[in-house]
Amino acid sequence: MQNDLLTELGRSLLTSSLDDERLMAQTGGPPAVQILPEANVIKIGGQSIIDRGRAAVFPLLEEIVENLGRHKMIIGTGAGTRARHAYSVGLDLGLPTGVLSVLGTFVSMQNARMLNYLLAKHGIPFIEPAQFAQLPHYLAERGAVIFFGMPPYIYWHGNPDVGRIPPNRTDTGCYLVSEVFGARSMIFVKDEKGLYTADPKKDRNAKFIPTITIAELEQLDLHDVVVERSVLELMPNATHQRSIQVINGLGRGNLTRALNGEHVGTIISAD
Amino acid sequence: MSAQSFLLIDVMYEENTQLTDSPKTNDGRHHVQSMLMRESLLDKDVQKSTETPVFRMLPEAHVIKIGGRSVMDAGRAVVYPVVEALAGCLKTKKLIIGTGGGARSRHVFSIGIDLGLPTGVLAQLALADSLGNAHILGTLLAPYGVVAIPPEIFGHLLPLFITSAPGVIFNGDPPYSLWEHPPTIGRIPPHRSDAGSFLLAECFGCKSLTLVKDVDGLYDRDPRIHTNATFIREIDTAELRQRNLESLPFDRVLLDLLDNARLQQSFQIVNGRHPDRIAAALEGKHAGTIIYANPKSRL
Repeated sequence: MQNDLLTELGRSLLTSSLDDERLMAQTGGPPAVQILPEANVIKIGGQSIIDRGRAAVFPLLEEIVENLGRHKMIIGTGAGTRARHAYSVGLDLGLPTGVLSVLGTFVSMQNARMLNYLLAKHGIPFIEPAQFAQLPHYLAERGAVIFFGMPPYIYWHGNPDVGRIPPNRTDTGCYLVSEVFGARSMIFVKDEKGLYTADPKKDRNAKFIPTITIAELEQLDLHDVVVERSVLELMPNATHQRSIQVINGLGRGNLTRALNGEHVGTIISAD
Repeated sequence: MSAQSFLLIDVMYEENTQLTDSPKTNDGRHHVQSMLMRESLLDKDVQKSTETPVFRMLPEAHVIKIGGRSVMDAGRAVVYPVVEALAGCLKTKKLIIGTGGGARSRHVFSIGIDLGLPTGVLAQLALADSLGNAHILGTLLAPYGVVAIPPEIFGHLLPLFITSAPGVIFNGDPPYSLWEHPPTIGRIPPHRSDAGSFLLAECFGCKSLTLVKDVDGLYDRDPRIHTNATFIREIDTAELRQRNLESLPFDRVLLDLLDNARLQQSFQIVNGRHPDRIAAALEGKHAGTIIYANPKSRL
């Protein structure tokens, strides 16, 4: 390889360890480009929305259709109760986290397929990770695409520090899509208004938290949180997606308002 | 938990699916009966309850990662003896061989960073380089019945391949691609081929993980730059973190992965310039540096 073809950084990368922290500090480089700055990533909850069936899913899909042409939407799906069943069976049989990750992927794929058929008449495609190269085209043509929320780590899914449930599930997969594409917003559609001090389904004294930073969240050390902890761990390292919003998808109009940039749920930010 | 609760697939169609139902019974969601039904998987107690012994899928197979820059890019003088050493091991052992991307990955990183591309894109681009090296090594090991397997089918068919052939080759990188985690410092993907090989060994419960590099193991400083660097024969992640070495001969994320491992409690780094050390490492001998998980990490 001709060394004069390389930038100074290129030469350093070729000759030094990629685990040298001084070298890594030089790889921030020029500002990262926003690949799809107009796109919004929307995560539709599995247990919270899709498992409720028609009563919750139809109004939400209607709202998505109303926003076609106004907002570009990359829609990821959660897994939900069937993943919990598969995880239970797998845990009992001693299956490793990587295999549980494969099982979770299958369930979020089922949910993506169902939404895909319900939105098919609008020409909205479902894409798998191998088809992400076509995502910008579909988004430009149809204004929305559907993908399964699980990151495609499968057998290579890292273990959690506690327990065996894959730690990077559909919240994380959707969040990372929003970060890598430099998307305009990351909206988590769940069945609660947002973050509470405890699970509001179990604790009636749980208090709603409209805005919070990652640092404040760490201090609170909540027993239960509304988004996967790995999203909260990734956010401080993010270049683009330094805030997310969790909204209640059971309330008509919430998604539209969130897409319009309004504060309707809990905004969690890294800064 | 009784076995019955897992086998009873009882879909509960709740009659009254008002969205404001009480949290105790009818909560408007259609559940499948299971231990985790209705639970938040983010609840710390629920997470603890899921800690159970892990089944080993391929307990006899060894995972070996062959360095990209350290071995493959060094050319015939280094690669041929390594191939010979691997061929010798293949006579008695099942090998899952991962490869690094080497100089081409570093080059594409430098161009990509200059163009402002994010970490996930860099990770996606680098997959091609380690896959290229997998095919190069696969060509040289073809006489021994070992070839590179396309990544799309590798994981699912690995047990079949490893039973049918003495070994298989994959691109050591994990399939994180666009979903790679942004690193704390800079923009280089943190999960590269060392991490991919480790995660595979952990998931499949393999016998050992050996990283084949161009240094004898871990030193307190990069021995290629500092001639008086001190060799570290074995160390655990707690001490390694404490020493806060500036440069490591393996993906730094391995420290975290090792501490969270349930099966793979150590890995060994050996020097591919002394190919006999590869066989020694697979025999369970100490032939380079062994890195252990923090003994307290799983207590």
